[in-house]
Amino acid sequence: MKPDELLIETQHLTFRFGGRQVLHDVDLRVPRGSIYGFLGPNGAGKSTTMRLLLGLLPAPAGAVQLFGHDLARHRLGILARVGALIETPSLYDHLSGHDNLEVTRRLRGLPTGRTAEVLATVGLAADAHRPVRQYSLGMRQRLGLALTLLPDPELLILDEPTNGLDPQGIIEMRELLRKLQQEHGKTILLCSHLISEVERVATHVGVIQQGRLLFQGSLSALQRRRHSAAQVVIETDDALRCRNLLPAEFGAATVLSPGTLGLPYHSQEQMAYLAQQLIAAGQPLYGLRCEQPSLEQSFLHLTETALAG
Amino acid sequence: MNTALLAPTPGPLTQLRRSLAADTLKLKHTAALWLALGSGALPVVLYLLIFYFKGQYLVKAGQNPWPSYISHSWQTTAGLLLPLFVVLLCSLVLHVETKASAWKHLDAQPVGHLATYVSKLLVLLGLNLLAQVVFVVLLLASGALLGLLRPGLLFSDYAPPVAAMLTLLGHTYLATLGILALQFVAALWWRNFVTPVAIGMGCTVVGLALLRWEYIDWVPYAEPLLATSKAMVKGKANTLTVAQVFNQTEQLAVGWWVVVLTVAYPLLRWRQQRQ
Repeated sequence: MKPDELLIETQHLTFRFGGRQVLHDVDLRVPRGSIYGFLGPNGAGKSTTMRLLLGLLPAPAGAVQLFGHDLARHRLGILARVGALIETPSLYDHLSGHDNLEVTRRLRGLPTGRTAEVLATVGLAADAHRPVRQYSLGMRQRLGLALTLLPDPELLILDEPTNGLDPQGIIEMRELLRKLQQEHGKTILLCSHLISEVERVATHVGVIQQGRLLFQGSLSALQRRRHSAAQVVIETDDALRCRNLLPAEFGAATVLSPGTLGLPYHSQEQMAYLAQQLIAAGQPLYGLRCEQPSLEQSFLHLTETALAG
Repeated sequence: MNTALLAPTPGPLTQLRRSLAADTLKLKHTAALWLALGSGALPVVLYLLIFYFKGQYLVKAGQNPWPSYISHSWQTTAGLLLPLFVVLLCSLVLHVETKASAWKHLDAQPVGHLATYVSKLLVLLGLNLLAQVVFVVLLLASGALLGLLRPGLLFSDYAPPVAAMLTLLGHTYLATLGILALQFVAALWWRNFVTPVAIGMGCTVVGLALLRWEYIDWVPYAEPLLATSKAMVKGKANTLTVAQVFNQTEQLAVGWWVVVLTVAYPLLRWRQQRQ
């Protein structure tokens, strides 16, 4: 198998719900071994896409391919290799954590030992025999993840897995996802509306807004895109005065505050040159740095552009 | 693209076996299981008390008390309690999935929709049978107890008509299948607890109100009472005789069961894909 092989591929995936077009021509490409952050605000079409990927909603034949097979034709064979957590974890409150896993283990016809193994993986072995109704939100989320890990799937589809977790829980979940990808070679499709969350773990990113895929590529491609939007920030005494003294260098600069100037970033040499010129003109230089927009800003930029268009 | 072969899809029977193994585990600690085990006790305790205090008016002196005891308690059970029991049971069993928001989870497992449907149905059929068998066992036990507590009623002097009771159980069981199918489908259609229970209770009351209607045989909610009454014939020497042939009411109940379950399956699939 080639490393750049796609585990999920959709072709012109379109979906109408009643009279409303929910997805427009979505071409999702999730490479094997990636953590693919599927980002978008609530109502953008993330959940619909996930439901289509699992066959919970009917997709047109040929539009969804998982592991290189058409989902419409090989649904059960494909689902045997996928673990999915959609929205809130499906847990039976009257059963213990162990029995909740046992239900799905029996349903999938998996060996008996798997239940104990996944309980250990998510760190719930000690609480396995308590009823799930006594579990905290974080424990429920971990049990939900354990359910998806039961069949030792090659592909995990997780919808907002950090929902409702406290900061410590979020960190643990992030580490667990990273471990699953790096040590166990899992491919993870991670849906989220939290940009900061995706930025920390994802290797690839897809941004969806109003049913359209606005950006798709590696995290570094997104970062390069951000790089082109980087700016040099200069802290001095009087920003306006600097701009007037050195019109050739700072004519294009924007005054960010009375003592701060911003200029589009080009290179390190540009930064050194600007510093030299400023000092030569007798102006103080308190700070000089290159600022990149956060993923959040890029993301907002992408969605705003889409709205404007 | 990866052209690796997918694991072969398990056969329909394997899928059903796995679904059943999972569904039976889900019954642990549920109200549905307790209802099935405990619902038979209510009419039995009621008639135990009635016969204990007023038995002398219900059984002719010197006669076999079993036919009277069985027919009284059986008619009350079949007429009102059994339809309500089936209504409640269907909703309780299916609500286990709804409450856990587990339908989507089930749909994302490598088990076909038909296996899930049939498995749930088999669980309901099993619990319905369990409840009715428990009722028969409790009825026999309570009769034996009356033999000890009220020797004058002569329960100990006659052998209980076990064979007739088992045949009657068959009649009653078949007669509940129409309600079971309708309530099963209603609980899957609305996927909440209240709506199907309200509909089922309403229909049971309507069924009882229309008992004298010429087409009442066609109303599934009245069928347990009608089928039991038709099947149970009190013999000359006050013996319990139960018809061996399945009567028209039971045939209609089985007909409802087959038609409702067959027609509902594609309709439910259609509805689920739009939710």
